[in-house]
Amino acid sequence: MIAFIARRLVTSFFVLLAATMVIFGLTSIAGDPLADLRELPGPDRERRMADRIERMNLDSPVWVRYLSWLGNLFRGSLGVNRDGQDVGVLLREALSATLQLVVAATVLAVVIGVIVGIISALRQYSTFDYGVTLAAFVCFSLPLFWVAVMLKQYIAIEFNDWLRDPVIPPLIIGVLAVAAGLIWAAIAIGDRRTKLTAFGAGAAVTVVTLTLLSATRWFADPGIGVVGLAVLAGGTAIGLTVLISGLQYRGPLYAALAAAGIGVLLSEILDPVLADPSWTEMFGLALVTAAVCAGLGYGLGGLLRRQAITGAVATGLVTGGLIFLDRMLQSFAAYSDRVRGRPISTIGSRTPNFTGDFWETNLDAAGHLLLPTMALILISLATYTRYSRSSMLEVMNLDYVRTARAKGLPERTVITKHAFRNGMIPITTLMAVDFASVIGGAIVTENVFGWQGMGNLFIEGLQQVDPAPVMAFFIVSGTAIVVFNMLADIVYAYLDPRIRLS
Amino acid sequence: MRNSPNEILHVEDLTVEFPTDDGVVHAVRGVSYTLHEGEVLGIVGESGSGKSVTSLAVMGLLPRGARVRGKIVYRGEDVLKLSARRRRALRGGKIGMIFQDPMTALNPVHTIGDQLAEAVLAHGLVPYKQALARAKEMLDLVGIPQAEARLRSYPHEFSGGMRQRAMIAMAVINSPDVIIADEPTTALDVTVQAQILEKLLEVKDAVNAAIVLITHDLGVVAGTAHRVLVMYAGKPVEIGDTDTVFYRPRMPYTAGLLGSMPSLETSGGRLRPIGGAPPSLINLPSGCPFSPRCPLADDTCTAEEPGLAEAGEGGHLAACHHWREVAAAPDPTALFRTESEAV
Amino acid sequence: MTISAPASGAAQGMTVVARTQGQMVRRRFFRHRAALVGMLAFGGVVLLAFTSIGIGPIPGWWDKSYLTTGSLVNQGRPTLSVVPQFLGGEGIRFGEHPFGQDNIGIDYFALTMRGAQQSITVAFIVAIVATTVGTLAGAFAGYFRKLTESVIMRLTDVMITIPILIIAAIVGRTFGDSGIVILAVCIGLVTWPTLGRLVRGEFLSLREKEFVEAARAVGSSAGRIIFRHVLPNTIGVIIVSATLAVANAVLLESALSFLGVGVQPPDVSLGQLIDTYRSAMTTRPWLFWWPGVFIIAIALSINFIGDGLRDAFDPRQTRVRA
Repeated sequence: MIAFIARRLVTSFFVLLAATMVIFGLTSIAGDPLADLRELPGPDRERRMADRIERMNLDSPVWVRYLSWLGNLFRGSLGVNRDGQDVGVLLREALSATLQLVVAATVLAVVIGVIVGIISALRQYSTFDYGVTLAAFVCFSLPLFWVAVMLKQYIAIEFNDWLRDPVIPPLIIGVLAVAAGLIWAAIAIGDRRTKLTAFGAGAAVTVVTLTLLSATRWFADPGIGVVGLAVLAGGTAIGLTVLISGLQYRGPLYAALAAAGIGVLLSEILDPVLADPSWTEMFGLALVTAAVCAGLGYGLGGLLRRQAITGAVATGLVTGGLIFLDRMLQSFAAYSDRVRGRPISTIGSRTPNFTGDFWETNLDAAGHLLLPTMALILISLATYTRYSRSSMLEVMNLDYVRTARAKGLPERTVITKHAFRNGMIPITTLMAVDFASVIGGAIVTENVFGWQGMGNLFIEGLQQVDPAPVMAFFIVSGTAIVVFNMLADIVYAYLDPRIRLS
Repeated sequence: MRNSPNEILHVEDLTVEFPTDDGVVHAVRGVSYTLHEGEVLGIVGESGSGKSVTSLAVMGLLPRGARVRGKIVYRGEDVLKLSARRRRALRGGKIGMIFQDPMTALNPVHTIGDQLAEAVLAHGLVPYKQALARAKEMLDLVGIPQAEARLRSYPHEFSGGMRQRAMIAMAVINSPDVIIADEPTTALDVTVQAQILEKLLEVKDAVNAAIVLITHDLGVVAGTAHRVLVMYAGKPVEIGDTDTVFYRPRMPYTAGLLGSMPSLETSGGRLRPIGGAPPSLINLPSGCPFSPRCPLADDTCTAEEPGLAEAGEGGHLAACHHWREVAAAPDPTALFRTESEAV
Repeated sequence: MTISAPASGAAQGMTVVARTQGQMVRRRFFRHRAALVGMLAFGGVVLLAFTSIGIGPIPGWWDKSYLTTGSLVNQGRPTLSVVPQFLGGEGIRFGEHPFGQDNIGIDYFALTMRGAQQSITVAFIVAIVATTVGTLAGAFAGYFRKLTESVIMRLTDVMITIPILIIAAIVGRTFGDSGIVILAVCIGLVTWPTLGRLVRGEFLSLREKEFVEAARAVGSSAGRIIFRHVLPNTIGVIIVSATLAVANAVLLESALSFLGVGVQPPDVSLGQLIDTYRSAMTTRPWLFWWPGVFIIAIALSINFIGDGLRDAFDPRQTRVRA
């Protein structure tokens, strides 16, 4: 294992070194680094050109400049850009902005994509499957920049306008209800009657919910409330138990329900703490939640202790997440007022000069993240859906899944323990590679939404024929790719006992 | 024969069809058989004859979209009418199944012990440790040395024969009444085949079960089965006691199968293979599906498909218009020409 | 339900009628409805783009040029209408400027067609170059092993370390001024490693097969074995990847042009049109809509064709209708 890592690192080092050479060379000959200065009027021009020539060492040949850049790199400096700014500082800011942008998007894309892909595989050749397949193909074929501009126009601007008077017209409610009903009907298995029931239930629930939300002007001052919280947490507890251990044994169910109940109670009791917490406090609360829920699972689980602990901890954390969401929503009206009723932002990563309490700052960040995240999800969601669908389909047809069924295991266990576990092995590789590439690859999104991130650093450097920022960008993105690929191999070996790293 | 006290499994007029893009595949076209306590029933046929699909139908493991008709009666209850949950309780609980290829039939990412223990847990809530102890007991029973340590092994650390032993252990871990063994020795080395077969019979006696032994290899059936069912193109074409069927076949196809089997007794003699290939299950030929390959075929055969009819004593049934001619032949296998004669 | 032949008894005896590989592939492909629709749609787009404004000196049937400005009609709004009069629309008509005009009065239909021509050309060149280089590199690496393989695989390592958009952007920026053909060839030269790895993998497994052994035993040359024996067996993988490469190249080219590092003015491409008119979104959204619609139409139809081909070449798939 250690030998494997060491050898990989050595090879990767030389691969990266070769790549830096290529990139430095190509960037340096990509144009005229003085182009912008040549058009300047007046006497200033000659002096500034001379300045830049000296700073960028333009008198020496490209390979000399490359070697000097490399020498600096080994001394731990990324050099300066053409205006003399320290690239290390620029990189740090850009990286933090990009990470904010891509982490949430990638995690969401993975979770949603894998779930949709699996349902699609389990319902192969159903209407739902065809719908998902079609949607995935459309997503594959969407130009990201085009979608991003569309989102800006139709989600941000129009949605903000609508929020001033958040009433949903009956026609829209009707359309949404029909759509929801169709989705439910497509997922449901069974004869026409089952499908009709599913359609009716889905549509009715949607109509009632939306009408209520619209009539109470919920969107102007949203929140979940204790009752909503209790219903959602209880639903989570039951849903997770069904997934993890099934409902025929009581232990795990009681543990999950207890976790949900305690969570809802605490959301009221802890009110003073939750008024304006810090991230450290939130993290601490999450840890305590996990510990308490593990205890509940241990105590109530009985013979199914392992499943009970998993279920209770998951329920507890989801309940915590719901409480967090509730608090965010409660601050929404105040926040919306402070940004003159335009909570969904289209430019940058935060409102300039904005200060507020914990929840308002987070809302501000969320408002700025919403659109770029949607754009990024839309694109990579399709990949995950397709991959997990085909991976699941392949595994579901394998002999050992049939063996699992022949043993009389419940379908839930067959899917989660035998099919899912094996089907996800190739997806981990995809995840690692994907995450590595989005660190450097959110270029288009950053460009459209005006984020000062990694992509911006790169594309600006490239257009200004300024190698230093481009190289700084590559050092991070290239290293990320190398490291994540290696991680993928290690995780692969961990998940599949047949693989030995050597 | 019906409803006799020691009858466990009774399949009646079972048909299975798969609608595909190319047309409907008639995989099984009316199979009936009865399995009694402690009995070994051999089902013999070429690949595509419907023998595997028949047993997958009994287990309820057919792919979604398969159309199943007929009756599968387990101890007086029609399995096809049971709820999904009751059906699952039978699978692995009362009816265990062993598959052909032990290299792919075990999940590579879980330990042998875990895969055995979960079979116990699927049919009753017991502490995991207890399930694991049962798993060890089973590994001992099927003759895997150092069973305790082997529980923690992964399938890829086992040889083919060991894996098939583990599969047998898995199939009988809940002491079933019926073991369906689908070509249990086909994927193994010849030397291992006999061991596995012997172990299977030994385990059957230990848990007191009956076996449905599916194979294309008459040699496997000869030494083990009490009765044999021969299938062709989705239909049973001959059924009877093993000895009767082997020494007095009444259906040319069975005779052909026997003639294609090399044996020590007739060493030096020529093999007499059946010419041609099995028919497409999408467009079956009219009349007897074997008629295009049959040396006795005449106009009656292409016009009308024969049903199973009594062709000898002791419940010996055959589906052939000309079974009397087969019976009259001194050596029925000689109906087929040898390779050199055919050229 | 799809069942793979060796895994399931249900598939046994399903395909008994003998057909050649080519016939089977064609049969399967033409039964894939989405692929057929994709092929018709793509053919339609190509036909429309290349006949309407003509190619080079050959004139097309559309009477306006993408170079000449004209007076603004109705503020440049599209005159295309597809809503019939009895439904309260303006009837089905093409009108003077079906896609509208840009702010200096250039007919936007002609301009979009020109962009589509350029984008399709770039995409095909990229795909052809990448497929050829990738196939050769993968074949040599997989067949010869040892030094050849090491060199080629390290080269792909280097190129895969650099995200595709990045390396394409650098190449685009460096060679973008030299015209679209050079640009396309350069992009093709940096996007082959994915296919190269795929082909190498196929070669690695095929070179151990008996028929290669047999060819070697009768003294066939390496070149003959590679091109006559092994390559034909990987053709499915290559064709499918090549098709999908065209779709990806359309999107890649448009993204590069949008970022200003692809096709450079005065040349136009679909992505570059969107970049040029992105600020017009609020005032003249149609300048934004049309090129996007064409990018999607091209990429989607090719993706469907690729999917159909993949199903057609995959012999394991026999579908049981649920």
